[in-house]
Amino acid sequence: MAEDRAPLVSFEDLAVSYGLVQALAGVRGAFYPGPTGLLGPNGAGKTTLLKTLLGFLSPDAGRMTAFGKDPTKEPLEVRRKLGYMPEQDCHIPGMSASAFVAFAGELSGLPRDEAISRAHEVLYYVGLGEARYRNLETYSTGMKQRVKLAQALVHDPELLLLDEPTNGLDPQGRDEMLVLIRDIATRRGMSLILCSHLLHDVERVCEQVIVLNQGQIARQGSIRELTGARRQVFDVRFKGDSEAVRTDLKDLGVDWREGDDGVRLLLPEGLGPDTVFRVAKECGVQVRHLRPGAETLEDVFLRALGHEVQD
Amino acid sequence: MPIYDQGYRRYEARGPLRKARFWPITREALRLVLSKRAFLGLLLAGFIPFVVRVAQIYIVTQYPQADRVLPIDGRLFGEFLNQQIGFTILLVIFGASGLVANDLRTGAILAYLSRPLTRRDYVIGKLLVPLFLCLSVTLAPGLLLYATGLSLAPDFYGKWELAWIGPAIVVHACAISLVVSLLTLAISALSRSARVAGLALFGLMVGLEMVRVILQHGFRQKPAMLLSIQTNLRAVGTALFGIADREVVMAWGWSALVLALLSLGCLYVLRSRVRAVEIVT
Repeated sequence: MAEDRAPLVSFEDLAVSYGLVQALAGVRGAFYPGPTGLLGPNGAGKTTLLKTLLGFLSPDAGRMTAFGKDPTKEPLEVRRKLGYMPEQDCHIPGMSASAFVAFAGELSGLPRDEAISRAHEVLYYVGLGEARYRNLETYSTGMKQRVKLAQALVHDPELLLLDEPTNGLDPQGRDEMLVLIRDIATRRGMSLILCSHLLHDVERVCEQVIVLNQGQIARQGSIRELTGARRQVFDVRFKGDSEAVRTDLKDLGVDWREGDDGVRLLLPEGLGPDTVFRVAKECGVQVRHLRPGAETLEDVFLRALGHEVQD
Repeated sequence: MPIYDQGYRRYEARGPLRKARFWPITREALRLVLSKRAFLGLLLAGFIPFVVRVAQIYIVTQYPQADRVLPIDGRLFGEFLNQQIGFTILLVIFGASGLVANDLRTGAILAYLSRPLTRRDYVIGKLLVPLFLCLSVTLAPGLLLYATGLSLAPDFYGKWELAWIGPAIVVHACAISLVVSLLTLAISALSRSARVAGLALFGLMVGLEMVRVILQHGFRQKPAMLLSIQTNLRAVGTALFGIADREVVMAWGWSALVLALLSLGCLYVLRSRVRAVEIVT
């Protein structure tokens, strides 16, 4: 359990606003060692949370602690232990990848020689070894994403902040990026926060997840716990007009989700598969298939956002 | 074997943060600027007036009667530095107008500010670039010219009464370089395009000078002098070197005040524009 370990970052009643717009409204939570996903729709406050952690924004209320320090009061000490891969492009025109990553290392406090040496290592690690002397402006989107990851890694941070790292990547590039991130978290033992709206990416890489919605934490915990047996999930196929079954089950509090091959039912506590059979029988509909299923992170996410049933 | 299996090691040997955290920023920006041959050519062209002035001093030392048409007193240095203002403008337009604008355009500002750097470190690091370029065509040739004068005409420049020339060169060169550099950086921070910033800088430095000429000569408006940054800089030079300049029609104190207010304005622009987060309320 991550909660058994001391958190790297914790925040209590954190409120951050941009003028009249409240971006974070009294959130309370923590990032523990290991890979953590930060999920939420656009405008949920994910990036605001990261930027507060980086010391770019000052909270209106509440407090945040990173590595035992306040990012607002000691931003340099905190940033030194962070590696940030921003969502948007970030490169210096005219520089090669090796010069840029070495420069990033130097800015993070590495001696020049060490920064150059590590830049080459990290560029090899992210798969840009052969292209490292090329001008960054000639790079493809996928290569630019890798350079962004390399510049975030070069000083070996304690916590890596990845803001939408698979943005703009083709399926193969996305898969390679996720493998790389997973490797950083598991084999290299680096903690990371993966900020994404792609649930599949988070599910592949992270153990913990925080779901933000409208500036508040809607869910947090380990993915295993959140997607566990809190609810009973069944994949079902009916024969006949299932509309009446659907209405009756929804009245009982059952989530009904249409799939390509039947429907997925999320039963609230206290109800079992016998309820499905009973309701189907009452409606004169035949149950042709019923198989226990597992709740996905997407189910958790949608429920956290208040979308109980998505047709 | 996946490529990422090739070496990545944890780094444990963290020392304290360096004090001059801005230095890598200056060094890398200068390296990028000075790697362009055309720019190096421009920088070298900035030394042509220096060569001409050295020749002037040499001719006067060889032919003393030439002193009537080519005087080599303290005014020579003031006029030389005032001439160099044009070169500082060219150098910053071509070498420094994109310093912040490019970072804003490419998002590199985040690559800087997400590091253990303050905004002040970033601004100082960037400011040193145009400052270096401007000083290289004002202070460096100015002092070199003075040293040349001392060696070629020790009887003249070795006099105690002319000991003020050295400090005057330093003050005027620094004033020109600081004002031009601050203005360059502020204009650069107001745009996301180096080209637009360069044009704006040209407009401010050359366009306002043209407006001044029209207002001052066409409409006899003396205060129009204060509109031109170039003329205000020249006015400070005339006061320092005791030069008579018919374009400078107001007390130099007004020009100094305008330049000081302009510099404060530039610092305000930099303070509000150099941010990792753009806050729109």
